[in-house]
This record gives sequence, C-alpha cells and structure tokens, in this order.
Amino acid sequence: MRKKAISFVICAAMAAGCLPGTQVYAQDGQEVVKLRMMAYNAESARATYLQYLADKLPGIEIEFEFVSTDNFDNVLNSQLQAGEGPDIIEVGGQTKLLARAGYLMDLSDQEFIGKYSDSGLQAYTVGEGVYAEPLQSWFEGIFYNKKMFEENGISVPKTWDEFIEIHKTLEEKGIKAQTMGAQSYEPMMKQSIGLVNNLFYSDSANMAFDEKFNEGEGKLEEAWLPAVQEWYKIIEAGCLNAEMLGLSYDQALDEFATEKAAMWECGPWAVETILEKNPDIDLGMFPIPGTDGEKPGWLVGGPGSAWAINAKSEHMEEALQVLEVTSTEEAQQALAKDNAGSSFVKGVEIDLGDIYADCEEAFKEGNVYAPWTAVWTNGNAVTESYGKSLQEVLSGSKDVQQALADADMTNADLLEALE
Amino acid sequence: MNTKKRDRVYFWMIFPAFAGFTVLYLLPTAMSFLYSLTNWSVYNAQLRFVGLRNFQKIFTDVKTVAALVHSIKYAILITICQNVLAVLLAVLLNRKSRAANFVKSVTFLPAVLSIMVVGYLFQYIMTSADGGLLNRIIEWFGGKPVNWLGDADIALYSVLITQVWQWTGWSMVIYIANLKSIDASLYEAADMDGAGSVQKFFRITLPLLYPAISFNILMSLIGGMKMFDAVFVMTKGGPGYATETIMTTVIREGFSSGRNAYACAFSVVFFIVVFLFSQTLTYVFNRWEEAIRA
Amino acid sequence: MTLKKAAGRAGYGIFLISVLLIMIIPIYYLLVTTFKTPAEAAASPLGLPVQITFENYRKAIEAMGYGRALKNNLVIAVSSVSLLIIFASMSAYVIARSTNRLFRLMNSVFMVGLIIPFQISIIPLYKMLAGVNLMNTHTAVILVDVFCINLPLSIFLMRGFIHTVPVELEEAALIDGSGTFQCFWRIIFPLLKPILSTVAILDMLAIWNDFMTPLLLLQSSEKQVLLQQVYKNVGPFSTDWTSFFPMLVMATLPLVLFYLVMQKQIIEGVVAGAVKG
Repeated sequence: MRKKAISFVICAAMAAGCLPGTQVYAQDGQEVVKLRMMAYNAESARATYLQYLADKLPGIEIEFEFVSTDNFDNVLNSQLQAGEGPDIIEVGGQTKLLARAGYLMDLSDQEFIGKYSDSGLQAYTVGEGVYAEPLQSWFEGIFYNKKMFEENGISVPKTWDEFIEIHKTLEEKGIKAQTMGAQSYEPMMKQSIGLVNNLFYSDSANMAFDEKFNEGEGKLEEAWLPAVQEWYKIIEAGCLNAEMLGLSYDQALDEFATEKAAMWECGPWAVETILEKNPDIDLGMFPIPGTDGEKPGWLVGGPGSAWAINAKSEHMEEALQVLEVTSTEEAQQALAKDNAGSSFVKGVEIDLGDIYADCEEAFKEGNVYAPWTAVWTNGNAVTESYGKSLQEVLSGSKDVQQALADADMTNADLLEALE
Repeated sequence: MNTKKRDRVYFWMIFPAFAGFTVLYLLPTAMSFLYSLTNWSVYNAQLRFVGLRNFQKIFTDVKTVAALVHSIKYAILITICQNVLAVLLAVLLNRKSRAANFVKSVTFLPAVLSIMVVGYLFQYIMTSADGGLLNRIIEWFGGKPVNWLGDADIALYSVLITQVWQWTGWSMVIYIANLKSIDASLYEAADMDGAGSVQKFFRITLPLLYPAISFNILMSLIGGMKMFDAVFVMTKGGPGYATETIMTTVIREGFSSGRNAYACAFSVVFFIVVFLFSQTLTYVFNRWEEAIRA
Repeated sequence: MTLKKAAGRAGYGIFLISVLLIMIIPIYYLLVTTFKTPAEAAASPLGLPVQITFENYRKAIEAMGYGRALKNNLVIAVSSVSLLIIFASMSAYVIARSTNRLFRLMNSVFMVGLIIPFQISIIPLYKMLAGVNLMNTHTAVILVDVFCINLPLSIFLMRGFIHTVPVELEEAALIDGSGTFQCFWRIIFPLLKPILSTVAILDMLAIWNDFMTPLLLLQSSEKQVLLQQVYKNVGPFSTDWTSFFPMLVMATLPLVLFYLVMQKQIIEGVVAGAVKG
C-alpha cells in the first residue's frame, strides 16, 4: 500500500513537472500564442507599451520575464546554449556576440527595419545583417534635487571642476552631495565613461578607436587614461568615498528619493520609483560635464536596448508581428511613457518632459554615447571587469591606470576565447 | 536460493541509482576534465584542443588566484570559528534545564532558513546606509560605524560572520549528541583525582568528541570551499574582487562571460584542492584516532 | 560556597541571554520590519510597529506569485525526496547485504560523491541537460537534486542503519518462499522507518534551500521556486523593499513551520546523519 502511495505521489509530481503549458483560447475561439519575452528592464518600465501590445495583438499573449542585469547574461547564455530561450530577447552590449554565434534572427529584410535611422541600427548590425530592433534610447546623467540646489544657491555645473565644487559647498553645510550605489560595479564605470565621452569621444576622429579595440589593437590604458584621470579628481576630492561600496542601488535610490542626498547618477527608469517614494520631489537631470564650460556635456547612453528574435524560436511569425507593431508611432510613445528616451523611428518626436530640460543642449548635439553597447564586441564583460577594478580604485588598492589595464586584459582574454 | 540469482535481483535494485549517478554526476565530472583542455566557449562553435593553456591562464590571472585564496581562507576560518563556538555552546548548553533547551532550539533555527534569505537579511543589517541596524547598535554603544560589506578588507569576514551565525547551531546539536554518549563515570573518576573543569574538558571531553569533530570539520571545510549563495546575494563578489570565491568565478566565467573551458579548468583545480584537503584530514584524523585508542 | 554558586548561576544566565539575543535579534528584526513603513523602519529599526498591517504581505504574495511558486517547491521537494528514498534504500540494502565485489565497487563510487561537490561538473551537466531538452523543466531540477546532490549521503546513512537490522528476519521470509525483491519491500523497508525519516528530513532541507540549481535550470516564471521569486524582486531596476522583507519571510515560512512542528525529529535527523556514519 505504502509503495503504491509513494509511486502515485511521484507520478503525479513528475507529471505536474513535465506537463507542457496548457493551450489558452481567446474569446473568439482563436488560439492564443504565448511568446516569451526576456528583459532586464522591469515590467513596470514597459507597462504602457505592454498594454498597447496586448490591445493590438489579441492573438498573442506575452509572458514577460524580468531578469536583473546582474544575472541576465548568465540566464540568457545558458538558455541559448541549450537551444532554448525566450522568443523575444532584450539585448544590449551582447548583441554582436550573440549574432555572430548564430543565436539571433537576421531582421535586415523586414520592412519595419527600414523605418529606423541608421544611428539606431548601427549597434545591432553585423556585416550585412541587422539583428535587433532598437527600443527608445537610454541615457544616464546626474539626477539632482532642484529644491536642495536652490536652497543652497547652487546652479547646474558646467564643468567637472564646478561639479566637484558643488559637492564641497553642500558638504560644508552638512548635506550629503552625491549618493552612489557603488556596491554594484556599474555607477562608477558609467560616470567615468561620461568623462571619457567629454574628453575623448567628443573628437569624432576618436570614434574609430572602438573598432580597433574590437580587433585587440587599441588599448584603453592609453586612449582613455587622461579622461579617467580627470574623473578620478572626484575621488581625490573625497566626493565619492569607500562608504559607498557598502550601498546597493536600492539604498542609493532611497537616499536620493528621501532627500538625504542632493545628487544621484542614474537614468529615466528610476523616475517612477523615486516619485513613488517621494511624490513631492522636484527632480532634474544634467549631463555629465567635461572640462570645457562652453560645451554642453555628455550623457552616457545610446540605443540602449533592443528586441532581438531567437533564431530557434518556434513562433517567429508572431514575434515579427510584435516587432512590427513596436515600430509604430503609438508604440514608440508608449515606450517613452514609462522610460523616457528618444525614438529611433524616423519622424517620431518624443517630448521627454521637464526633468530633462537641462540635458536639452546635449541631446541636440547628439552627445549621448556608450561605447560598450554601441560598438564593442565584449562590452558587458569588459565593463564589468573595468567597473570592479574601479571599486578597488575607490577603496584605494589600485589606481585608474591599473583599472584600465585590467579591462584591456579582459578584452584580450575574451578575444582569444573567440578565436 | 543461490547467490547468483540473488545477485541478479540485487543488481536491478541498485542499477537505477547507479545509472543515474553515473550519467548525471560521473560523466559530467569527466567531461569537465576533458573540456578543461579545450577552447570551448559559448560564442565559439569550433572546439579545439589547447592543452594546459587554460590552467596556465588561471595561475597567471590575479583575479582567479584571489578567488581560490578567498575560498581556502574562508573554508579554513569558518571551520575553526564554527566548530570552536559549537563545542563551547554544546558543553555549556548540555544540561537538563528548560532555559538551556530553549536556547538550544533557537540556536538551531537559522539552519532551516535558506542561505540566500539569511544573506539578504544581513545585507540590510550590515549596510552602510543610515538605517543599517548593526552600525546603529555599534553607535548606540559609542563605537564607530563599520563599512561591513563595502570595505574590501572586511567584506569576506562579514559574510563569514553571517554563515557562522547560521550554521553553528547545526554543528552544536551534533556535538551535544556526542557529549551525551560520554560515560559519566569518567568525569566522576576525574573528580576523584581532583581535576578542574578545564582539565576535564581537555583530558576527557575533547578526545571523546572525536567522532563529531571529524565529521563536523570535514563538512564545514567542504561546505566552505563550495560557498556560493551567501556571497552571491550579499556582495556579488565585490567590492572589486574582494569576496570572489571559486564558485562565483566559475559561474561568472562559465555563464556570464561564456568562457566555458576556462571555467571547467577552474573546476578541475577546485577538485584537486578539495581532494587534497579531504585526504589530508582523513590522514590526520586516522592518526588521531590511533593515538586515542592507544 | 553558596555565594560562588549564585555567581555561577548568574553568569550562566547572562550567557544564555546573550546567546539568545545574538540568535534572535536578526530574526526579530526581519519579522518586525515587515509590518512597518520604510520611514518607520528607518526611525526605530527594533521598535514595535505602530499598527499591524498585512498590506506588505499581500503585496509580497502577489509579486512572488506565491501559490504557484510554493506548488513548484512542493513538486520538486516531494518528488525528489520520494525518489531518493526509493533509490537510496534499495541501493543501501544491496550494499549492506552483499559481499559481491561489484557492489562494493559501486559503493566506493557513490562515496566519491560525499567528498567531491557536484559543482565542479556544473557546466557540462548543464549542457547535457539542455541537450536532452530538459532545460526549464522541474524534471531537470529533480534529477540534479536526487543524483548529484543528495544520493550519496542518503545511501551512506541508510547503509549504516541496515547493518543494524538482523539478517534472520529476511532468511525466515526467504524460506517462506518470497523473492528477494518482495522480501525487501515487505520485511526490510518498514523496519527502516527511523532512518527514512532522518533521510527525508535532511534531503528536504537541502532541496528546499538549494538556490543555485533552480537558478540555473528554471527560466520561465511559471516554473520558478520561491527563492527565485525573492531573487527576482531585488537588484537594479526594481526597487520595492517594503515588500521585500515579507518575501524573505514568506519564502522561509514553510520550512520554519516544518521546524516548529518537527523540531525533535529534525534535530535527531541531523544528529543521526553525523553519528551513524
């Protein structure tokens, strides 16, 4: 008897574990196709857009899977290696690698791709093929608390030195100037690249560097060093300190939202949570300033993320429909609603809103760049290595030159692994 | 019934387990060894034999060597801390009193929580943000706040503290059971000799705790070597590489960076270290046992 | 003399209280925070909540898809433990009773698994499971939990116990004419009850609290277990830590209840696991 009971339990449990998802039917009896969409931006940052898709495409049910960036490549690579994976993938810095390895579907023949500007497609182009459809641009600048700036008679800084001065002014009054969730390797990595944008990539001749870097010829240690040394002044001045290595992204967001700190580097996706925590906050964002006060500064960003289709997807037709609908003006507006960013669809203008008024000049000049998502082959791994070494810089055990050398080494290792 | 027929039935009884174990444990382990000699990567279709190059890279990459050192350091420290504390608690709590019993069961409680949950909880307790509980307690006593998880010199020990907190109870109940098996007449005899309690502890208790000590030490050491969850949720290996361990590196290189062969090679190094550890310990314990018996 | 005794008792009391505080404050903090607003939690982390509201729990349960995740946990844990009991008891019996060299050898092979953690094979194992289309299935997690993580210890414990069961019982049954296989299930298996519960408890704890295996093998949220739901709700781009502590509580609640009800058996199980060897 007991044996039977046990075997029954096992059979039932195994059956429950192995059963494929049951078919679901829409109201008119038409079969609903389930599409898996895997993303590193949370569902809340796509809410309006997803609702729009649901309305437009009643025959498709999107199963949205959020995986945080810390673990995204882990989860994605392991699924793709297994010949599995989501139908639609949110891709960024890893697009070129994935495309080369044959995991992504070539979209260059699709009509909707023609609606996008070349600048939006560049990051997702390998040879003749286009492997992803850009969503809205992403950017990061410095969020600031307008009220706290006004009360202390501070205006938006035009140069990096002014930016450092602001910290001193605020800190003399006992106010924490900038918070940073440096427990993650990302914020310092991005902020320092903001300086690299100002001092290095602003010279268009230097744009060619990234291609050389992909070949293993260019070295960050040489090309970026002066810019990153300029950035390092902020650490020397004590405005970023080792305390911040104990702060997570959440905790930094919390400090900024609850007005315990006047500035925080981040991007539009955080706005909703900030306002949720403190609806009264008067929020602004300015670009990362360079050394020349006449120039508008740079943001870190670019054609951030994009939808790619898994080359092994069983629902290519439906996935293509989703991408098609995404390229419409309404969908573009819906995307920008929850996560502000400009559109790469030609002729679509997006009003970003007051928060970003201080960035307007920078946008006009096209001063938005992130080399690792735009051009680099091994973007994610190299920036992780660089960012982790910057944590060591902040805790005082390395200098910025060593951090850049570490990133070069990671690049070399990965290029070798690709041979 | 003859043995031959019986053995045939036996064979089919043991076969499912052995087959599953062979396919899912032995075979992948062997494959790990083989792949460590190739250039296997996520982004690379062509598999080539590269000899010992991956191993060479492991020992020239400071980050990877650091991860190896952290794991070994962590494993040895947690073994010492956890067992010293557990023996002390066991000796002190091994009484027939309600209060002692209650403390015993509370001490064991964290062992049923998942490491991940404990990790997140302590991430909030140890944060350097204003609300960090531990720092507030320290400040209340007049001390200076510590950047538990953000200071590269401290972070690994902070993670260690949380794990000692979680697992000491587990080791303790094993020691208590062992203590109960010690014959009370031995202590009475020692009392007659006029031995103090410290002397009794070292002359009688400790040698007779031999079975529990050898088991607990082996388990904490191996458990410490494969530590992953706690670091993964508390520090992500940071700041910098200050808390990277063998497993976090294997997962990062193997899955995030897609350098599968390199990760396999590191797994092989891991195997060798664990193997050496367990062999050394077994040897030491055997000698100890002989010494006690003699 | 009495003074010394009293001082000793007081010292012992202080010792008990300090151990208790160290163990209980983090857990108390976890529980008490779940009933507070973020502002309240920041103002007095250890104070009692102003009012008991289960709103945070409601949000947590919703965000975790609690019912579904709990079901997944149960499916994985119950199937794995059942399989382990069946496979391990049969294997342990054979190893304990036979002198055949083949089974001796198999036993030594199993025991390798006690020392060498399966994690070293994780990447090829992953590729293999993917190759046979088991990625993103509970079956994959169950297989790994059973064969890679818990089988060796389970066999080891059961073998030790079976040695204590007198052989005469089986011999009598065999004379009655029942086969070896029936004899095992009818005579021996019921006698193994104490060790079965030990093994079941230890395996249950290990499987329920294993984070890495589901993390790597289960991708779609329909299949994921409680710990993955917790994990998903932290990290950049999703901040809602007022409902985060309740998630930690909800993820461990089933096991804590299990502990409170079965405390004696669990501790006995842990002890048996260590001493029977």
